[in-house]
Amino acid sequence: MVVSERRLSLPNNPITGIVLAIPAYFFGVWLGTLFGLIDDQNTGVILGYLFATVAFLAGVGFLNYPLERLFGWRVTPISDPAENRGIGRFLRLSLDHKVIGLQYLVTILLMLLLGGIGAMLIRTSLLVPDASITPPGNYIPLIGLHSVMMIFITSAVIVGPFGNYLVPLMIGARRMAFPRLEALSFWVVPPAAVILAAATFWGGFPTGWTGYPPLSEQASQGMDSYIVGFTLIAVALVTSAVNMLATIIGLRAPGMTWTRLPMFVWGIFTTSILGLLAAPVLAAALVMLAMDRSLNTSFFLASNGGSNYLWENLFWFFGHPEVYIFILPAFGIIMEIVPHFARKPLWGYRTGVVGLFGVALLSWFVWQHHLFVSGIAPVLRPFYMLSTELISIPTGIIFLVTLGTLWRARVWFTVPMLFCLGFLFNFLIGGISGVFLSDVPTDVTLHGSYFSMAHFHYTIMGGEIFALMAAAYYWLPKMTGKMLSPTIGRVHFWTMFLAFNSTFFPLFIVGLLNMPRRVSTYDPALVGLNRWVTVSAYVLFGSMVLFAANLIYSWFFVSRPALANPWHARSLEWQVPTPVPARNFDRVPVIVAGPYDYGIPNARPVADLGGIVGVTGGG
Amino acid sequence: MAVRTRVEAAADAEALLDTRLVAIGTWLFLGAEIFFFAAWWFAFFYLRAQDNNQAWKAQGVGPPSKGYGTAVMILAIGMAFSYVIAAGQPARTLWFRIFTPMALVYGIATCLFQGYEMWHLGFGLTQGGYASVFAGLSGSWLIQVLLATGWLASIVMQTGPAGDTIARRKPAGSFGWILLFLAAVGVINYVLLYFVA
Repeated sequence: MVVSERRLSLPNNPITGIVLAIPAYFFGVWLGTLFGLIDDQNTGVILGYLFATVAFLAGVGFLNYPLERLFGWRVTPISDPAENRGIGRFLRLSLDHKVIGLQYLVTILLMLLLGGIGAMLIRTSLLVPDASITPPGNYIPLIGLHSVMMIFITSAVIVGPFGNYLVPLMIGARRMAFPRLEALSFWVVPPAAVILAAATFWGGFPTGWTGYPPLSEQASQGMDSYIVGFTLIAVALVTSAVNMLATIIGLRAPGMTWTRLPMFVWGIFTTSILGLLAAPVLAAALVMLAMDRSLNTSFFLASNGGSNYLWENLFWFFGHPEVYIFILPAFGIIMEIVPHFARKPLWGYRTGVVGLFGVALLSWFVWQHHLFVSGIAPVLRPFYMLSTELISIPTGIIFLVTLGTLWRARVWFTVPMLFCLGFLFNFLIGGISGVFLSDVPTDVTLHGSYFSMAHFHYTIMGGEIFALMAAAYYWLPKMTGKMLSPTIGRVHFWTMFLAFNSTFFPLFIVGLLNMPRRVSTYDPALVGLNRWVTVSAYVLFGSMVLFAANLIYSWFFVSRPALANPWHARSLEWQVPTPVPARNFDRVPVIVAGPYDYGIPNARPVADLGGIVGVTGGG
Repeated sequence: MAVRTRVEAAADAEALLDTRLVAIGTWLFLGAEIFFFAAWWFAFFYLRAQDNNQAWKAQGVGPPSKGYGTAVMILAIGMAFSYVIAAGQPARTLWFRIFTPMALVYGIATCLFQGYEMWHLGFGLTQGGYASVFAGLSGSWLIQVLLATGWLASIVMQTGPAGDTIARRKPAGSFGWILLFLAAVGVINYVLLYFVA
């Protein structure tokens, strides 16, 4: 067979994607209306979103490779990272992991802003104890949009920008294992965000991020945004996980043994295992929900042979590992950064890795604690209570490893280190309050209250977002070539740390006083505390604006070029020049020592960057 | 023996690495697939055990024609094994070029039979838990077989001298595991939906 020299000649960029997506959406709606089994628009909306997403991805260029193969044409290579320079590379499909990392960074920060605005609207509504500012019909969709958007962001906020950019650099690889999958994991994010935001035009979704039936079956077409948007999140999680795991397993430089792997890479590794295995369960559950809403099946309809508990089981089988998908990379960041600024070897490296795996493993055995108040068989309660409490042991181990590293250290109190210390303080409160909620009697009392809400905000925002900030101040100089202002950074840290605790700690109290979450009205006796919290929340939002201002000020006004290794760190990513060369390393490096040998006399450099010619996988 | 240049050696190393990465990626993907189908199998057993409102199988609802189910299963197995045989052949042999299109024909037939069966189930999707699980499980499997068949078609189309399937035969071989996995899921579904239900 003679292979044709023909090419798909469509200009591939997001504009083409949008141009294709709009008619594809209307085509999907039309098709759904034509074949929809139920006399409403669910089928059309779901098909419209799906068609639009595929068309957008086609416009960006994702279908070129499979279609050219299918037509028997020669496959068009995507341009070499070395030739791919300029700002335009960030606006089109790129297979360079560094470009994808920065694409993720900007997108996620914009989404974080959107989710944050949602939080401000919620808190504004709670300035008064009645529903005069936001009627219940608007308040619930606002909660739903804020929660799903934030869950979406926090799933990707570390793995997306920092995992994609840094993992190959940290393991001595010149590329990712599957750059197309890596790019796909990013390019499904914008359509997912648009689809989720589009729920607003359909009245939002009233279920929060948990999507419980029967409410999710009865809800308006906003729920279809939830289904398709969340499915795309699952796709992003799986594709990202396959790529990350294959890269870490197969592309480590010679000498990068498992016991020399940086802790951040271990964090990405364990979180990827969870994403790989948990997200497909969510995808299956969402297909069932879509079928119930559009084809009138009855997976979750008890009167017709279904069960809403089926959703609760499937959702939380995904949902609880999802919580650790957030936090494991954050643990990795903390254990990565603390030794650098403590100028001491990481205390208990292997114990820390065991802690990460312990958390990852146990996270599969705890999901039913979310069902304590919704009718779980009483005989099962003790098992899930104990398994949930057990998870505090590996988490405690990670804390001990970090505190052991800090013990008698001469700490450099840089901005990243301040955020690491802030993480430890916040996550301790979040973790301890979690032990209360794993206990059946306490959970039955507090589950629906602000206590629970304060707990998970302490772990996710106080934990993951503080770790994110540590990572941003630590690694952005390498990623962008510009140092961030340490003065603004310190002001940012203290404002954020104080405002965060001032916002969320009082919520434990209002929770204990039985203020229910997801309700727009509350007991007028709690108005004082709520106003305090709302004002604190505004300050917290202001601290994030300060971060954005620091980025803009440092990148565009001061523009202080970053040195190759401004922190005098040992790990491999700091041994390459800034900006990082197109192929990361001239030659594959040979790793000769661990990354945390600080303060050890005559410690060997971490790698021989002269390396060897060619490509070598494995450790 | 001809002396190889450094560039040739590097290209060989790159190809070898690609092979290893695709094999790793395939096994990881199959791990995700197991959890995806396990969710459906959980739904099957959960709803069957609960039998809420005695509506697991509404009156008159039962497994559709076993003949169609058997045919679909056999065709899926045929697709997987034809391709596995093809992928095991030395590069550019006649057998590779015979068995790969044969696998494609089996794949297309699998999709057509499963699609036809789903169009003529003999019960409506609204008729209880079994009908829901049948449609969802078979439909999810069908979509994946359809996508795999599309990829198979691209392999057939690339079987020419410049196609990458021959040059990268081992990565193509990893695809055989995906087809075997889908065939195995087809067998499990068959047993569950036609006999256990």
